[in-house]
Amino acid sequence: MTWREAARLSDVAFTELSLQAIYAFRQGNLVPTETAQRLVAKARRRVVQSKAVVSFVLGLLAFGVAFGLRESRFHSFAFGGVSVPAGIFQAALLTGLLSLDVAFLWWTGMQVLPTFLASGVLPVLEPLPIDERTLTRAAGLLYLRLFDLPAVTVIVTTPLLVGFALGPWAGLAVLPGAVAAVGFALALSLVTGRFFVRRVQGSRGGGGRTVVRWTYLVLWLVPAFAMFGFVTAAPAFFAFLGRLSAQGPSLTGHLLLAAFPFSFAALPAVTASGPVGFSLDPVGWSFLVVASAGYLLLAAWSVVWVLASVRRVSLVPPAAARPTSAARLDLAPQPVMLAVLTKDLRIASRTPGFAFLILLPILDAVVIGLWTFETATGSAVAAGLGLAAVTTAALLATFFGPAFFAIEVLAYSYGRTLPLSNRSLLGGKVLLIALMYLVASGLVLGITLARVFDPVVFVLFIAAELPAVVAAALLELGILFRRARARGLPITNLYAGAWYAVFVSVPGLVVAGLPLLAFELARSAGSYVGLLAMGAVALGALALAAPFALGREGS
Amino acid sequence: MAGGLPLSIDELTVSYGERVAVDRLSLTVRPGEIYGLLGSNGAGKTSTIKTVVGLVRPAGGRVRVFGLDAVTDAFRVKTQVGYVPETSLLYDALTPREFLEFVASVRHLDRAVASERTRNYVTAFRLEAEFEEPILTLSNGTRQKVLLIAALLHQPPLLVLDEPLNSLDPRSVRIMKDLLVRYVAGGERGILFSTHTMEVAEQLCHRVGILDRGVLRGEGTLAALRERMTAGDATLEEIFLRLTQEGEGVRAAVDSLGAPG
Repeated sequence: MTWREAARLSDVAFTELSLQAIYAFRQGNLVPTETAQRLVAKARRRVVQSKAVVSFVLGLLAFGVAFGLRESRFHSFAFGGVSVPAGIFQAALLTGLLSLDVAFLWWTGMQVLPTFLASGVLPVLEPLPIDERTLTRAAGLLYLRLFDLPAVTVIVTTPLLVGFALGPWAGLAVLPGAVAAVGFALALSLVTGRFFVRRVQGSRGGGGRTVVRWTYLVLWLVPAFAMFGFVTAAPAFFAFLGRLSAQGPSLTGHLLLAAFPFSFAALPAVTASGPVGFSLDPVGWSFLVVASAGYLLLAAWSVVWVLASVRRVSLVPPAAARPTSAARLDLAPQPVMLAVLTKDLRIASRTPGFAFLILLPILDAVVIGLWTFETATGSAVAAGLGLAAVTTAALLATFFGPAFFAIEVLAYSYGRTLPLSNRSLLGGKVLLIALMYLVASGLVLGITLARVFDPVVFVLFIAAELPAVVAAALLELGILFRRARARGLPITNLYAGAWYAVFVSVPGLVVAGLPLLAFELARSAGSYVGLLAMGAVALGALALAAPFALGREGS
Repeated sequence: MAGGLPLSIDELTVSYGERVAVDRLSLTVRPGEIYGLLGSNGAGKTSTIKTVVGLVRPAGGRVRVFGLDAVTDAFRVKTQVGYVPETSLLYDALTPREFLEFVASVRHLDRAVASERTRNYVTAFRLEAEFEEPILTLSNGTRQKVLLIAALLHQPPLLVLDEPLNSLDPRSVRIMKDLLVRYVAGGERGILFSTHTMEVAEQLCHRVGILDRGVLRGEGTLAALRERMTAGDATLEEIFLRLTQEGEGVRAAVDSLGAPG
């Protein structure tokens, strides 16, 4: 057997993987009444669309950095009163870009890995009379295909855009860094993804373990906040590098040259702007060359390791511990809407893709809340940031919350046989969206309480927006239910198209945004007048949305 | 419980596009009865069952559960039915406890009642060790046990079981068979039981219906079917093959395969 045979096998497996990723048949979804050919074509097209979105973001990052690099040829920069040489500034920007490339690819890999491992596409090949080497190669190639377009984007656009900004030799010099970034991201995704899948998906029931799972899931999102980390830390990083370069060669400078990805970032910067500011004495040069070569070898080894390990990793079941008898066998039934909410939270606690939809709005709001620490206590800016954090929570909960409805795809063919009314289902989902908003707002309140401003206004702001969040959720879910009934089953496949984004999210965002607009317009007459206007608009929105969603026609 | 027969299917037609899966099927499940729906793969058993539980909309005919229409009164029908699907596709990310808790909540079960029944079934099926494990990690047989418990939890007046004994170990099969016989012994409840294992149907079912390519070829007790086919002491398997006219086909298929090896 050959690489060609492995590629053919991986192509078949990739088709199956795409089908499962989009339609979730193995997780209990109903089969749509379309031909297999159409389903396969749709699934493959939507997977390509997803990869294109990730690639677009990566390309955009590279473009932004290239713009900064080009500017650095004509302007000098100073941070915190410290002048930063052009080469150092360029190396810092490229360090950020390569770090973000790793983080973004890594995070993408962690998002797709649970589906990849749960799909069972590789174990199906095991009993077939295919030699070990071909199976291993097919598994490796299948894994690479999850990243192909984004990885190629990083490897191609980074040298091209850096070359455009700093000249062709600089573009060539950044190529090893781009290749290493991709190699490390592939390995990190496999190692950490597998770890999280074992710890999260295979975790037993019980309250304490649920907390541990959610903690892991928060860590899962850390790479997604790399951009925030970079933007926040950038000025301090630039100033640090400026001070370091003014000192001349030093041990810290040498160690920096040996650190990933600064070593790779330094190569094109030195090529374009010369060694000014770098600790490039003979020791520095040896640090830079040895480290770069070492990282490149390590990245190559990572790719080889990934290719050799994917098959083994995919065959290990998620259960980590030996089962032990349950301490108690009783059940605690809940009111139906609450039961829907509890079920969803429990599923999300073992399903990173769904947990992401809940955690992202909350963490985003918290991050904006944390920015208030950069401002003077009690200042108008701090107060504005606090309210902006709550606004973010409201809008993101409204945007991501309804997408969480896709969780109904799981075991749909069983769930539909239960006497669960649309109204109860809708109520459970609205509760979830309201909970996301309240948890995010509560955390922001906690962060800002000690140091920002009048907490009464803050609490009233949260309360006044709540009816609008509920109204937006009702409107969005009401549209989904009506659309589902008009198109027939399965309803959750509605999410895969652009239709969802335009016709569900936009009206929701408008409804959630109107009270915020009312507050902005009326606050010039005083905070409490603004809050009154906000609450009135929010309650009005709720009065209109509730009959639409909960009326006989809607549910 | 509403009045009427546990299940009444009248001139049911199910089609998927051009393909007719069930063709004007009529049958009833009487109080106190286990009705076995027999058929080859693709005969229309699962399509019939899916119309009863609301997963498939019939192209024609009516399905009534205790007099309630399965299409126009689907919600109330669902409260009367306990269902075990053919494939055990469940909420993989939940544990059996979490899953059963959700089912008990949707069915408005009292905490004490739900707990007592759960304890009894879990102990009977020896599920204690897997009760807190994610369903994702469970074997097919264990998943099937979880589904059976979920179907029985609210003690529904109609059980609809699609190949319910698949993947179960012999001990659990025996428990289930005895349990089902007792379940209808009161004379009010009914069970629609789909299988293509003739021995199970012969042991368990009061009446059977033999479905072939969507058409009901024969129906009745084993004795009545023997009499109709003038088949003496023929087994249900022999009657099935004669009614579906598969007997000759089986011999030809075996002959064409020749001797293994």
